[in-house]
Amino acid sequence: MRRNYSDIAIAEAIAILGCVAFFAHLPGPVMLVLGLCLFAAPGYVWSEVFLSRRDRGLERVAVGTGLALMVPVFGGIVLYAAGIPLNRTAWVGVLSVATLVGAAVALITRRRRRDDPAPRRPARTRRWSAWHAVAFGAAAVIAAGAVGLAVVSADAQKYSGYTQLWLTPLPGQPSRASLGVDNEQGGATQYRLVLRRKGRVSATWTLTLANGQTWQRTVPYTTSFAMAASLYRLPDLQDPYRAVDNGAALPGKPAATPSPHPSGTHS
Amino acid sequence: MTVVDRTPQGGPPAQQRPVPGPQEAAGTVPESRLPISVVTLIASVGVLVASAAYAAGRMGYASSPWADRAYWLGQALIVAPVAERLLSRRRLSQGGAATLVVVLTVAEYLLKVCYSPLSFTFTDELLHWRSTVDILQTGKLFTVNYGLPVSPRYPGLEEVTSALISVTGLHIFVAGLIVAGVAHLLFICLLYLAFWSFSRSYRVAGIAVLVYNSTPTLDSFDAMFVYETLALAFLGLAVLAAWRTATGRSGADRARWFMLAVLAIFATVVTHHVTSYMLVVSLFLVAFAGLITRTGHTTLRVGALAVISAAAVACWVIFIAPGTLSYFRPTVVGLARGLEALQSGSSSGAPSTSAAPLGNQVLEGIVVLIITALLPLGWWQVWRRHRRHPEIVAMAIGSLAWFVALALRVGTPDGQELAGRIATFVYIPVSLIAGLALIRLVNAALVRRWESAAIAVAVAGTLMLLFDGLSNGWPPYWERLPGPHQVAGFERSVGPEEIATAQWTLTALGPGNRFAADIGIYPLLIGYGDQNPLQGAGYLYTTRTFTPAIARQAKEQAVQYVLVDQRLSQSLPASGTYFPGSSTTGNQPIPIGDLTKFNQVPGVARVYDNGDIVIYDLQGARSAP
Repeated sequence: MRRNYSDIAIAEAIAILGCVAFFAHLPGPVMLVLGLCLFAAPGYVWSEVFLSRRDRGLERVAVGTGLALMVPVFGGIVLYAAGIPLNRTAWVGVLSVATLVGAAVALITRRRRRDDPAPRRPARTRRWSAWHAVAFGAAAVIAAGAVGLAVVSADAQKYSGYTQLWLTPLPGQPSRASLGVDNEQGGATQYRLVLRRKGRVSATWTLTLANGQTWQRTVPYTTSFAMAASLYRLPDLQDPYRAVDNGAALPGKPAATPSPHPSGTHS
Repeated sequence: MTVVDRTPQGGPPAQQRPVPGPQEAAGTVPESRLPISVVTLIASVGVLVASAAYAAGRMGYASSPWADRAYWLGQALIVAPVAERLLSRRRLSQGGAATLVVVLTVAEYLLKVCYSPLSFTFTDELLHWRSTVDILQTGKLFTVNYGLPVSPRYPGLEEVTSALISVTGLHIFVAGLIVAGVAHLLFICLLYLAFWSFSRSYRVAGIAVLVYNSTPTLDSFDAMFVYETLALAFLGLAVLAAWRTATGRSGADRARWFMLAVLAIFATVVTHHVTSYMLVVSLFLVAFAGLITRTGHTTLRVGALAVISAAAVACWVIFIAPGTLSYFRPTVVGLARGLEALQSGSSSGAPSTSAAPLGNQVLEGIVVLIITALLPLGWWQVWRRHRRHPEIVAMAIGSLAWFVALALRVGTPDGQELAGRIATFVYIPVSLIAGLALIRLVNAALVRRWESAAIAVAVAGTLMLLFDGLSNGWPPYWERLPGPHQVAGFERSVGPEEIATAQWTLTALGPGNRFAADIGIYPLLIGYGDQNPLQGAGYLYTTRTFTPAIARQAKEQAVQYVLVDQRLSQSLPASGTYFPGSSTTGNQPIPIGDLTKFNQVPGVARVYDNGDIVIYDLQGARSAP
């Protein structure tokens, strides 16, 4: 009986192409398609090893999918035990090797099962009508539209804008601090940032930041005297919009953030 | 049509063959007027309607009754046609039943995606997001996860996702959705195959899966990017492979399935603790049922797999994940206390009713009654038709766990939570036994005379089961629709502002700092911030001044930073409590002075301010005089 080995050959080709694509740094869409095929390939070839020709349909797909998910689980543990870092190269290697080895074993088992007859498929009495195909197609389009609607509505969901201000010592450098402003107000915003040392203004910056833009400086830092940074949102120069400090200001540091409750404000 | 079923009184597994009903065999069963393609189309419309309800929620109509009704209409459009096709006595092919199961699962998963389509928002998903990022960044397994320390010791999910990201270049969120979606669909398909293999009736299998869809956690915890989702797929494969090992035609077949079962067992053990324990219990139960039904080969082969799985679990816990024992200690202690209280008849302190709205509680009560009523009928069917089938007898024994879960729910502290989490496993045998009962009811001679009405009642009952699962599952009723920010909530406490704050903590402060924070931003600090937020730090927020006693307590707890969300002073907590690990319910908003007191504490640096959220560095703190 002649056997068709084209499926195994395709799986092997995917494994080899996956490696080539990885090392050749092919474009993203090519990597995506090849990567998905490479991810699924070990499951397919190993399902050919484990299942007989009598096992068909959903069971074959389920076992193949399960095996495809198992390969990274076991592969990762083996790599970790061998002291190999789990980076891209390692994962591509694991999946390719699993596919090639699985393909070789599948070829051997198929040859051994040469006399194992495939089950006779029941004659198809009904064929899909065009209407059914149209209905399934329409269902897929509608479902995709539902997900698209969710993405668009979530993306367009209105959140109140905000501005981040920070003053933190740099890790490992206690005498220097990061002073920064990040604008997420939804549009370009003008600020004035005032840095005070011992209560006196030591530096002032007037900033115009686009939405999503960050401004950051490294400044000398100490906790032996008071340091505070106040951010004003122009044109208001009376009430600080945001405020941070080093904790050395005593007593009663200004609470710059406007509070909805008067009792929360500090002088 | 009579249900396709096994030989009455059972028989040796090797002789089990589907027995078509007389009408079906003769080809006299009429076609349904509702083709499966149309069922699929209606289900997709249901997804669209529910997605529109979500969109309305995001536009500010989350509290609108119309948006809520649209959501339930969408759910009804998904479930009702599938239920009608499975429950009706019209012709249904094996492929048709499988397609219906797939359509139902995919539609519900798409709704889960639609709820949160841009990023992970559920607490546990954020925890696994963290572990996946750690593997991608460090190339190592078993990294530190501050929110769920035990999870890196079960790295299956993160390994699979890392591999997919590495070979495709996909974003972690998209890769996570794909892995979780494929694993969830695989689990349901394997469940269907297992039910079909046990009962030799694809209609029973389809109905059992339909009933299983009423599990409160199925479309949330069991479909999310969490380790249980993947482990369930491996459990399903292990169970199916174990059955094929027991009933395989030839020695070679059995050997191959045995190897596959062993691989699936190991994969389950590596991926999730509770699921692997449940797998051990299931395999031992089938082996025990083999003894009862005198099917020695089942006892021998499945028993061997059970022993292997128990050994694998023990080895993994001892050598790789010893922290699992301490992780479960509080749960086991609470369970023991609750059971002790149940035995002695005293109060365990557990609430007798849930905090859900009355409608949800009534629905829950009705569903409990329905399932409790179906089980005896299902057991009767098992006795009549399947008493020599070890797998079905094992399912019948396992379905007794339904009553244990009920006892847990009412009798133990956190009983609702615990019963909800074990429902994933308890509902597996319950679904099959209830499916056998339902099919018996639908085929009853009396019912056949009133077929349309009977099917309508059955579909309505199924809808109630599924709606109960949804309404008493996750997200909670007060977050059923996405919407504006909620104070101390779950998914609706996750927004751009909170994400940016969490990301800032990692960038500016580095990982692993001990934070006091409210329950809303807590998972984000773990996930995006890689911080170590603390439980039971609510005392820092509820006093007017920073007293020496509080300073001492904070020092003992080694609190480094306090994150103050000033919106805690504006709203009651959506989840019932403001702070993680705190049982005190918020009856009134926290006074703003309690939150801003850190501004006056000597040595406390105010390091971050975004308007709503302020972060204080407590490491130089001296208490107020």
